[in-house]
Amino acid sequence: MPPKGVPRKKGPSDGAATPQGPSLAEQLSYLNNPRPFKNPYYNKNVNRRAKNLKTVLTQEREKDRLRREALRQARAERTANGMDIDDGEDEEELNYSSIEAPPSVLPQRHYCDITGLEAPYTDPATGLRYHDKSVYALIQGLSPNVVKDYLSARGVNSIVK
Amino acid sequence: MDLDIQISNLPPGALPAPHPPSQPYGEHRSAHTPLVIDNGSTHLRWGFATSAHPFTGLNAVAKYKERRTNKPLLLFGDAIDSESGAKGQTRTPWEGDVLLGFDALENALDYALVHLGIDTPTVDHPVIMTERLCTPLHSRGLTSELMFELYQVPRLTYAVDGVMSFYQNNLPPPSSTFASDGLVLSFNTHSTSVIPILQGKGVMSHVQRIPWGSAQASEYLLKRIQLKYPNFPTRVTPLQTNWMLRTLCEFTPSYPSLLKSLSPRTLASGAPHPLSSITRIIQFPYLLPPPTAMPTEEELVAQAEKRREQGRRLQEIAAEKRKEKMESNERDLEELTALREERGELREKEWLGKLAKAGFDNEAELEDTIKKLDTWVKKARKKEAGEVTDDPMEEPSFPLVDVPDEELDEEGLKEKKKQRLLKSGWEFRVKTKREKEREREEREAEARREEEERNEDLEGWAKKLRGQQEKLMGKIKDRERRKNALGDRKSAAAQARMKNIANLAADDRVPKKKRKTGGEDTFGADDADWQIYRKINITAPSSDEEDDFNTLQAIESKLLQHDPTFNTSHTHASLSSQSSLLLSTFKPPLNESDVAAHAQIALNTERFRVPQVWFEPGMAGVDTAGLGEVIQNALGRFSHGERRRLVSNVFLTGGPSQIPGLQETLHATLRPMLDPEMDVGIVRAVDCSSDAWKGMAGYARTEGI
Repeated sequence: MPPKGVPRKKGPSDGAATPQGPSLAEQLSYLNNPRPFKNPYYNKNVNRRAKNLKTVLTQEREKDRLRREALRQARAERTANGMDIDDGEDEEELNYSSIEAPPSVLPQRHYCDITGLEAPYTDPATGLRYHDKSVYALIQGLSPNVVKDYLSARGVNSIVK
Repeated sequence: MDLDIQISNLPPGALPAPHPPSQPYGEHRSAHTPLVIDNGSTHLRWGFATSAHPFTGLNAVAKYKERRTNKPLLLFGDAIDSESGAKGQTRTPWEGDVLLGFDALENALDYALVHLGIDTPTVDHPVIMTERLCTPLHSRGLTSELMFELYQVPRLTYAVDGVMSFYQNNLPPPSSTFASDGLVLSFNTHSTSVIPILQGKGVMSHVQRIPWGSAQASEYLLKRIQLKYPNFPTRVTPLQTNWMLRTLCEFTPSYPSLLKSLSPRTLASGAPHPLSSITRIIQFPYLLPPPTAMPTEEELVAQAEKRREQGRRLQEIAAEKRKEKMESNERDLEELTALREERGELREKEWLGKLAKAGFDNEAELEDTIKKLDTWVKKARKKEAGEVTDDPMEEPSFPLVDVPDEELDEEGLKEKKKQRLLKSGWEFRVKTKREKEREREEREAEARREEEERNEDLEGWAKKLRGQQEKLMGKIKDRERRKNALGDRKSAAAQARMKNIANLAADDRVPKKKRKTGGEDTFGADDADWQIYRKINITAPSSDEEDDFNTLQAIESKLLQHDPTFNTSHTHASLSSQSSLLLSTFKPPLNESDVAAHAQIALNTERFRVPQVWFEPGMAGVDTAGLGEVIQNALGRFSHGERRRLVSNVFLTGGPSQIPGLQETLHATLRPMLDPEMDVGIVRAVDCSSDAWKGMAGYARTEGI
């Protein structure tokens, strides 16, 4: 059953052609449903361009930096004026970028790029890690494009010298 | 090697259906029931706070203009699947983990509100919505603007979904306040967050977020599958890998020990590799080839019969033809002999006239033809009689060759030339025949000698042959290595080649010494110079290789035949195409005729490797700390007592937390970092996907309307 309030789409009223019912997509489309709850006077800032992630994050960082500087200045003024120092001020920069986890400090374990088992060895020519000599024989036969794909799956983006 | 490797099929796609209607709006109008919206990266859940369950829809919107009828459509969520062209126009409010698509958000909210049946000029309900942990101000600002300006809601609250899910699962008794402690691990689509909660309040200053979620995990799984099966016939979509992630992947408490168990030092011969115990095969849809007209048994028999019949008929026809020819030849022979006998009675002119009529130019021709026919008839009769004679050709005589030229007349000269040609041809044929016979005898003699040698000293002979085989294999390998080296631009062989080319092309090719004494370029005088062609042109197939291969094959076949200790595994072919048991279990080799197998994917280590990235993001190239390390960091900033309270109630929520094995793995990770007397209690949400919404609904109800 279509959602409430949608006007039932009627087929052609003349009996000549076989009436085609609305397709499933048309039934599910709610483009023409009345939306009384929307404010007609709200004009969206049509010129507003959708910002992408990078600009949003840099904006955040800028704002935080400015705020922090302002705080520091205020504190400096206060100490200069001899008023009591507010030590409880916690200068946390809590924004989207800051709560991201830091890089790992644990030693990285090496896993074979082909099979996924442990990889005690690394091929000096390509940089791939491998599990044993049969995998090494396989690596030797790989073309450079495939080698690049394997490396990028590990996050190593090598640039051709 | 018949193991029960499970073969699972992909789930079939379902047709999208419209949402079930919500309750009539009448009871909520002017009741100011709070409206609860869980704005998630994958799903949008909405409903009134009084409902028990939210309505769920995929959080995506598509504005599409249908080609045929030119009607614009606006589709939400699963409905996008109903129109194939709409999928390309999908827009989601979420870009990764951040809310940036406000048009899409507006449309999505429109759908939700329309579905609920709201028909008042403003949305007259307090709204509680989710937002991302520490969402950027831009996102929150625009959402608030949307809510307040466009929909004109009276009140708006934001909440973090993980915390709300925690609330739902640790509901306090009705009269007291919410004061539970715990560590919330919220597994979302694009990130995973760790939120400590003390006394019912989230300690937001100590939260951390790992940028790895189920979306990145399915992408990683897709990449691994593409690397493993570069020539797979069908396209694998992210939706399918998502399904694989949910159903087939598992966490394992200790990844290194799992890997150790999968790489045994020694294997019992014939035993399957331990990898096969964790292999699962996924069957993709494939097309059956059109059934080849394989003739059945009876058809084969009928065909053979037909062929035999045909053969017999042909033989009969041939026999008839032969008989006819024989008869006609005999007749001719008789006529001609009769004609010859007539010669004696006729005069010269008449004789020539008769000859001409019969088609001969002179008497010699007549004699020739008669002789030929005679021999032919005799031979044919002998053959019919069943004897096959191999008459040595009688030496034809060439009398005129020896006669000096002056004594002959013109005709004689012509005859002499003809006879000379015939003679030389005949001699040549005799010579070649004799040579062939001699060669045959030599070969036979050698084979006999070898056999004698073999019979006396089998080992010695076998050793000699094996030595030869190894030398040949060594030569072939060397050649291959040289070819490989030439392919590498920087190897010594390639550089030597370039030097050679440069030398040849240099304008002054003469070595210094020779130039002083006025010499010129002497390339080609020495036969060895021409070898340069072979050195430079690496792609030309050299006949040496073929010869080597042929000799190798001959030696190997002799060895196989006579030497009991040499078997097919020692031959060059099998040695060069050996692939270890590991690789053949990891990626089962394809059988040419098995069409179904061509569309199968075998997953063994990937099943554990992909979830392990949550604990070791470095495996996938993401340079952050893993889940274990992050929890450790988070716990480290609390006091001992607080840590105890947090750890006793570790709470898992979110879609990816349903991957099996998570609880054991977490336990194994946390246990070593904590004091032995602290209890580690890990709990999962009752309903990982909807508990956030339910928590918000519960909170909204207590808020007081």
